[in-house]
Amino acid sequence: MTRHEPESLFRRVFRLPASRARIRVALDEELRFHLEGRTEELEASGLTHAEAVAEAYRRFGDVDAHRRAALAFDDRTLTRGRRMELVDAFLRECRLAVRTLARSPGFTGTSIITLGVGLGAATAIFTMLDAVVLRPLPYANADRLVQLTSPVPKLEGDTLWGLARHEMYYFKQHSTSIEDIGVYQRTEVTVGSNGGDRPAERARAVMTSPSLFSVLGVVPELGRLLLPDDSRSRRPAVVVLGHDYWTQRFGGDGQLVGKTIDVEGASVLVVGVLPPNAQLPDSKTDLWLPAYTYPEQQAFNNHTWSAIARLRPGITAVQAQRELAPLTARLPELYSHAEPPQFVAATGFHTQVRSLRDVVVGEVMTRALWILFGAVLLVLIIAAANLSSLFLIRVDARRRETAVRTALGADRVHAAMQLLSESVLIALAAALLAMILAQLGLRLLLSLTPSNLPRLTEIHLSAAGIAFAFGGALLIALFLGLVPIAGSPELDVNVLRDGGRGVTLSRRRQLVRSALVVSQVALSLVLITAAGLMVRSFQNLRAVRPGFDPSGVLTMHVAIPAERYGKDYARTSAFYEQVATQIRQLPGVRGVGFSEKIPLEDSNLCTGVSVQGSTARNLGCPSTSIVSPGYFEAMGIAVDGQSLSWSGMDQHDGNTVVSRAFAQQHEWPGTSGIGNGIKFEGAPFFRISGIAHDVLADGLDKPPVAIVYFPMLPIPGAQLEQVPTYMNLVVRTNGGDAMRLVPSIGRIVAELEPAAAIANAKLMNDVVARSMARRTFTMLLLGIAAAMAVLLSVVGLYGVVSYVVSQRRGEIAIRMALGAHVAQVRRMVVRQSTGITLVGIAAGLLVALGSMRLLQSLLFGVRATDPELLAGSALLLLAASLAASYLPARRASMVDPGDALRAE
Amino acid sequence: VAASADIELLRGTLDMLVLKTLSWAPMHGLAVLRWIESATQDRLQIEEGALYPSLHRMEQKGWLTADWGYTDQGRKAKFYRLTAAGRRQLAAEVTKWSRYTETVDLLLTAEPST
Repeated sequence: MTRHEPESLFRRVFRLPASRARIRVALDEELRFHLEGRTEELEASGLTHAEAVAEAYRRFGDVDAHRRAALAFDDRTLTRGRRMELVDAFLRECRLAVRTLARSPGFTGTSIITLGVGLGAATAIFTMLDAVVLRPLPYANADRLVQLTSPVPKLEGDTLWGLARHEMYYFKQHSTSIEDIGVYQRTEVTVGSNGGDRPAERARAVMTSPSLFSVLGVVPELGRLLLPDDSRSRRPAVVVLGHDYWTQRFGGDGQLVGKTIDVEGASVLVVGVLPPNAQLPDSKTDLWLPAYTYPEQQAFNNHTWSAIARLRPGITAVQAQRELAPLTARLPELYSHAEPPQFVAATGFHTQVRSLRDVVVGEVMTRALWILFGAVLLVLIIAAANLSSLFLIRVDARRRETAVRTALGADRVHAAMQLLSESVLIALAAALLAMILAQLGLRLLLSLTPSNLPRLTEIHLSAAGIAFAFGGALLIALFLGLVPIAGSPELDVNVLRDGGRGVTLSRRRQLVRSALVVSQVALSLVLITAAGLMVRSFQNLRAVRPGFDPSGVLTMHVAIPAERYGKDYARTSAFYEQVATQIRQLPGVRGVGFSEKIPLEDSNLCTGVSVQGSTARNLGCPSTSIVSPGYFEAMGIAVDGQSLSWSGMDQHDGNTVVSRAFAQQHEWPGTSGIGNGIKFEGAPFFRISGIAHDVLADGLDKPPVAIVYFPMLPIPGAQLEQVPTYMNLVVRTNGGDAMRLVPSIGRIVAELEPAAAIANAKLMNDVVARSMARRTFTMLLLGIAAAMAVLLSVVGLYGVVSYVVSQRRGEIAIRMALGAHVAQVRRMVVRQSTGITLVGIAAGLLVALGSMRLLQSLLFGVRATDPELLAGSALLLLAASLAASYLPARRASMVDPGDALRAE
Repeated sequence: VAASADIELLRGTLDMLVLKTLSWAPMHGLAVLRWIESATQDRLQIEEGALYPSLHRMEQKGWLTADWGYTDQGRKAKFYRLTAAGRRQLAAEVTKWSRYTETVDLLLTAEPST
């Protein structure tokens, strides 16, 4: 037959294991055998060759169809066979590995716990990182949401103003990159009792343009959202409730939509309820009220509105910002009243666009979480290094066994598989342990986390976290299984000849293990230094004098109905004075006052003021706060000159206090500034009567804020924008539990004004602590990571030194037999461990010098490369290494020369 | 040559015939055919190529195993052998087949009882 090929080829082929190609060849051979056999048979019965071939093919039918049908079955056979083989091999290896591991429970347990703890910590932090930083915000089209702000660099440095309402309409109409835009302002409102049993209470509200809902992609759960027409009335007539507030305050009453509730003493119609997850990105909202805003509204220079926009698909924040620049530049021309040209020139006013997620999460938090993640990864690496060391010891111990097997014909691949399956099993068990630990750890972390951490509620052990734990476990398993194999090229029979103690081999192993410990020490040094820097920053921050005395100070919001008090300065002042006087009578109270703003709590956007007698060219833009007499004493802010008094205020003396930082911005030749006039635009002048000491109102790590403390009562003719019907009560106590006063204060306020609401009672000490919370949190976690790292390194070092001692028993015995002192032997062991540690420290110092700069933005009052701290970390590690070598050294010195040498 | 072959094979019956044939001895495909031809006195009309998908299918099912060996003439051929599972399968098919023919017989031989 013409298609015939030499048979020897097939002989060769068929000894090889099955493959798709070989199956084809075999089938063709089988069919050919059939056709040839038939042909010969037919020829023998008298047909010519040609006739016989034709008849054989006729009887056979469609060769190709039959061939294809047979092949389909063969393919299936092959696939199944391969799968079975793999499963078989895998199960075999696993059974063997389980048996081997069960024989050494100490090794197995240590490995699983070490790896599990390291992996658990890494998984917990990874979960936080994923939930807070990596995952998009919970909105439709979250990646297209941006925040718009107005920087005024020439006026206030880094402070960002918001948008004015007319800008919203202007940008929406003219910008091609903005699809939709909404503005809002946070506020608090008093929700009245509605005649029910619940007292009036303060609620978190947002005054919003109706467009904000469509920007965020919110749909109502009940009723409707706000409509553009709702925004045309100066006083909100309708309200949309947040889901949680609806359930908490109104018991989830489905009939509430269409009824009215009492908001700020006015009846407001509930038109809708939002679904549970519909929230602004950075805080919870109870009531959504329509802001007073419509397109034809007069433009004002009132850049106080937070703005969120949704960009068109494919547009980046940078592109949008570039597009808005020329639009913003045209504002003075179009709205010369709101943004006059000299205003833009003097402030450097422009529009900034940033991804909403970056704004919400914040650079510092993103950085802190990445640093913490890096820290736990280092710990994990250190743990893996310890395990690797343990695995090396095991491989060494099994060298004889392996050599025998090799001699008996087992291949190296098999030996590798065995080791790998052991490490995979351990890693999987560790991953399971890690899940449990991560779950517990997350619960602990969440109780430690600053409550102002963004996206807290989104944190839970997620699929990504689980994938991370198992992925990490498998990677480590590969590393553990492969390092010993890579480190031992001579898995051969020679081992059997030299009594199972190949000198060169053990020296090479020793080198690998020492290298592992060196890297552990180095990484530990990095972590200790990082933790030390955070501790130092924390101490520095704690030592900062905030300009007020927070200890024993209690504060809370007090709000009175705006309709009855809003137009009546005398009545408002009288109410506050009575409250202050009565609280003053409570036991342990040493001072009482009110203030519009609380340091470290309220934002300090600035307001333009006019000042008499100042020669400074820059008018400045101080933060303003309306305060009552007694505030400075209650908050513990020292005042030079004359402070405010109730009697003086009643006589409209116009006394005003400014902060020293404000006074220093102005130059009053020859005077401190006391006695000069100061006023809002258009108002008569107040008189600067005192200079208050500076307060770090924006943060303990920020410069002091320039503040003008206006009195609660105006001088005749003055038009304060609003009578302060919403103030912070500040009460200084003798110490002890100041919170105990809250019920009594509540009673006093309620007796004087039943419609008043108090809320948010808190201690100033807690306010100060919260302002440092992110740093505290980072410091705490870095501290834990560093402690884990040191512990693991000490264990690793101990392991290596003990092993060296056990390997050198013979040598030590000889030395001692030759008269070496116990002290000399000990010194020898300690020298070994110190040597390794010093190399590690040197490497660690290099890494630390290079990497600590990453921490800079989290530090305060300490340089990232602080030499004292670096030296301290190094000393700490050196001490730890001495501790680690103590036991092995003792053991070495107790070697009995006779015993040891006989054992040879 | 196949002029005397006058019975067309029922679907699925070929498997049973092959199993039965192989129950006597391991054979290659052509030998299986020859055995069936001689045992049935050439009365069956089989499209010979259909034998191979059948053999390979039963191999995949685990009823047969195959090995390459040499014929008496020294030629390389693929020999099929019945496995224990194949034997059980054969027994099941034979039982099914006899029950079927018996039933059909019953009907064909039945006469009206009136």
